[in-house]
Amino acid sequence: MTQPLLQLNHLSRHFGGIAALHDISARVYPGELMGLIGPNGAGKTTLFNLITGFSAPSAGTIQFRDQLINGLAAEQIAQRGVARTFQNLRVFPNMSVFDNVSVGAIGRSAYGLCDALWGRAAKRDRISAATWRALEAVGLDQDAHAMAANLSYGKRKAMEIARALALEPALLILDEPAAGLNDSETAELAALLRRLNADGLTILLVEHDLNLVMGICSRILVLALGTLIADGSPTQVSNDPRVLESYLGVESAA
Amino acid sequence: MNVYKAWPRLVPLLALLAIYAGLVAAGSGYAYRVATTVAIMGLLAASANLITGVAGLMTLGHAAFYGIGAYTAALASSDWGAPPVVTLLLAGLVTSLVGLLVAWLTRKLVSVHFAVATLGVGQVIYVTMLNWVDFTRGPMGITDIPGLGAHSDAGNLAIVTAVCAVLLWGLSRIIHSYFGNALRALREDERCVAAMGLSPARLKIQAMGLSCFCAGVAGALWAHSTRYISPADFRFTESISILAMVVVGGLGSLPGALLGALILTLFPELLRSLGDYRMMAISGIMFASILFLPRGLFGEASALRLLKRHFNWQGAQ
Amino acid sequence: MFDFLDIFFVQQLINGLAQGLVYALMAIGFTLIFGVLNVVNFAHGEVYMLGAFVGLLVIQVWAPPLVAVILVVVVVGLLLGVGLERVAFRPFRRFNDEASLKSKALREATLLSSLAISIFVRELTQTYFGSEMQAIPQRYLLMTPIKIGALNLVSGQLVILGVGLLMFLVLQYTLFHTRVGLSIRAVANNLSGATHVGINVGQTIIATFVIGSILGAVSGALVGLYTGNIYAQMGFAPGIKAFVAMVMGGLSSIPGAVISALVLGVSESIATQFISQGWSDLISYGLLVLTLLVFPRGLFGGSDERV
Repeated sequence: MTQPLLQLNHLSRHFGGIAALHDISARVYPGELMGLIGPNGAGKTTLFNLITGFSAPSAGTIQFRDQLINGLAAEQIAQRGVARTFQNLRVFPNMSVFDNVSVGAIGRSAYGLCDALWGRAAKRDRISAATWRALEAVGLDQDAHAMAANLSYGKRKAMEIARALALEPALLILDEPAAGLNDSETAELAALLRRLNADGLTILLVEHDLNLVMGICSRILVLALGTLIADGSPTQVSNDPRVLESYLGVESAA
Repeated sequence: MNVYKAWPRLVPLLALLAIYAGLVAAGSGYAYRVATTVAIMGLLAASANLITGVAGLMTLGHAAFYGIGAYTAALASSDWGAPPVVTLLLAGLVTSLVGLLVAWLTRKLVSVHFAVATLGVGQVIYVTMLNWVDFTRGPMGITDIPGLGAHSDAGNLAIVTAVCAVLLWGLSRIIHSYFGNALRALREDERCVAAMGLSPARLKIQAMGLSCFCAGVAGALWAHSTRYISPADFRFTESISILAMVVVGGLGSLPGALLGALILTLFPELLRSLGDYRMMAISGIMFASILFLPRGLFGEASALRLLKRHFNWQGAQ
Repeated sequence: MFDFLDIFFVQQLINGLAQGLVYALMAIGFTLIFGVLNVVNFAHGEVYMLGAFVGLLVIQVWAPPLVAVILVVVVVGLLLGVGLERVAFRPFRRFNDEASLKSKALREATLLSSLAISIFVRELTQTYFGSEMQAIPQRYLLMTPIKIGALNLVSGQLVILGVGLLMFLVLQYTLFHTRVGLSIRAVANNLSGATHVGINVGQTIIATFVIGSILGAVSGALVGLYTGNIYAQMGFAPGIKAFVAMVMGGLSSIPGAVISALVLGVSESIATQFISQGWSDLISYGLLVLTLLVFPRGLFGGSDERV
C-alpha cells in the first residue's frame, strides 16, 4: 500500500460562527488525477487555501509526504513541492510571459541577492532551463517574450499553469482551470493534464465543468456545505444518491 | 536593432550623457561641484528606485539612510582619521545593517503601512541626529570633514564618478537578474509570490540591505565632497526629493532614476538666484510628471527592453 | 506635595487632551478620505495651516467677533476641500468604478500628487509671509486664564475642547442622520454596491473632502489663536501626527483614529515634562513604529486573512 502524498485529517475551518469546512478527511495518492467538485459556496477554495498555507485550519491537520504542513507559511509549503493556480487568475500583467513563468523556477531554487551578486551561471541556467521546459509543456514557448497583459485569456491560464510547473512540484493544485475556456481550449487543457499526470505529476483540481472532471479524473471528492459527502471513482460518484440530491439535482449526470 | 525605432527612447539617455559631459567640459569649479552632486544624487535615486520602483515598497524616509552613511563617514574620518576607502565601506556597511534591521522589523507591513513606518523611522533618525549633540554635534553639524584625497574639484569628481559608476553597474546587474524579476513579481502580487515558493520578507530584507548600502556610500561621498554636513541635509523634504527623482524618471527604471536625479538637481540650480524656490520647483515638477507622464520620462518597460536588446539578455539573464 | 503633583498632572492631561483633540479632528479627515477613496491626503496639514492664516487675515482686515471668524474659516475650509479634490485627486481618476478607485496606481499617484501640492502650498506661503510667526491682536488671543477649583487653565484649552467636541457631535450627526453621511458610509463600505443603489460617487467624494477640510481648517484656526503661533510650517507636524493616528487606528476606523490621536496628544504632553522639547517629537514617531510592529494593520485594523 503506497503512502499517500497528501493527507487531510479532520480539517475544519470556522469564520466567526460559520463553519466553512467541517471534519474533512481524505487522502491523495501519488500519481492520481483527483477532482474536487461541489456547489458554489461548498468551501472548495477554502480547502485549497488551507492546503497551500494561505489560511490556517481551525482544527485538524494536513500532512504532505508524512510531514505536517498546516500552520506553515505559503512559501514554505510551495518549497516542499505543492504548487497552485488561482481561481481569479493571478498573473503579473506587466511582465513578459517568460518572466512570469520564471518566478516559479526562481522560487524552486530560492535564488536570492547573493546569487545575483556573485553566483555562478549554473543556477541561472537551471532557472532558464526549467522555465523553458514549463513553457514547452503548455505550448507557450513561441509566446515567451510577449507581455502577459496582451495574451488571450486562455493563454494566460496556460501561463499560470506553466508558472506552477516551473516550481517542479510533486502536487499541482488547480483552482477552476477551465473557467472561461471554450470547448476546444478545454479539450486542450484536458490533454495537457493527462500528459502531465502520465509523466508522474499528482494533480488535484477543482472544477465546475463536470464533463472535464468525469472525463479525466481517476477519483472525485464531492464537497457540499463544508462537508465531504462522497469520495470515489467517477462512476461511483455520479450514481451516489447523496451527490445527485445535493448537487446534480434529480437528473443523473452525463 | 532598428536605430530609428529606438531613437525616441534613447533621446533622454543621450541628453543625460550630453549634459553630464557638458558639465565636465565646462571646466569651472562650480560645474565640477554640480556634476559631483548629480552623480551622488543619481546613485541615491537609483538605490531608492530598487525599493520603491522595482520592489514596489514606497519609502518616505530614504534620506535618513543617506544621512547615516554621511555621519558614519564624517565621524570615522574626523574622529578616527580613517582613510576614504575605509569610510566609504564602513558607511555602506553601517547603513546596510540599519536598513536590514528596519526591513526585518517591518517585514509584515504592506503598502501604506510600510510607507508610514519608513516615515516614522526616518523621522526618528532625523530627530536623533538633531538632538544627540554629544555624538552628532547636533544642529551645528560636522565641519572640516577630510576629503577623498583629490587635490581639486575635478579630481574629486573623477573619484566620485568612478565609485558611483561601479555601484550603479552593480545595481543594474541586480535589477536585470532573476532576483530583480522576483522583486518585480513581489511588487505586482505579494501573495502570489509566496505561493511560488519565494519568501516576501526575505526579498524585502535583501533589497533593503542593498539599497541602504548604496545610499550609505552616497552619503559618505557627499560628506567627503562638501566637507560639511548637518541634520538639515537629511530631513523629510529630502526624502521626498529623492522619491520625486524616482517618480519623474520612471518607477522601476534605473536610467530613469538617473534622469530624474539630473533634472531635479539641475533645474533648481539653474534657478539658484531665486534661492527659496527650490522645493517649489521640485514639487511642481513632481506634480506635472505624475499627471502627464505617469510612467516617468524613461519608464521601466523601455529600460528593460533597451538593456535586454543591448546586452542580449534573454528573459532575465 | 502630592496635591501639587496631582494638579499638575491633571493640567498636563487637559493640555494633552486639547492637543489630542486637534490631532483627532485632523485624523478623522484623513480617515474619511481614506475610507471612501482609499488614498492618503498629504495636503491635509496645509488645510490646517491655511485655516489659521485665513483666520488671521480675517482678523487683520475685518476684526469681527470670534464666532464670525470661525464661520469664515468653515467656509474657507469648504472651498479648500472642493479645490483640493479637484486639483490633486480628480485628474488621476479616470473612472469611478471599484477597480479603478481601489487601484494601487491611483493610491501611489495621489499620495505623490497631494504631497507635491502640500509642499508647493507650504513653500508658497512661506515665501509670501516669511518664516517668522505672525502677530495676532491681543484681544483675539485665547490666553485668558481661567481658574476651575485648583486648576489653572487657559481659555484657549476650553475653547478647543468645546469647539472640538461640538464639531465631533456635528460630524456624528452628519454621518448617521443625513443623506450625505449615509452615502459616505455606503461608499466607504461597498463601492459597487453604493453605485448600484444610485449613489453619486463623485459627489460623495467631494463631500468627504469638504467635511475633512472643514475639520482641519477650524482646528488650525483655533490652535493658531490659542498658541499665538501662526507660521507656514505649522501644518507639517500635526499633519504627520494625525496621519500616524489614522494608521495606528487601523486606517478605516474613526473611533480608532480618535483614540490613537488622544493617546498621542496626552503622551506628548506628559513626556515634555520629563524630556526636552527636541526629543519629544520622537514620541509620536516612536509610538507609530512600535504600534505597527506589534499590530501590522494598526490597532483596530482587520486580520491578515485575504485571498
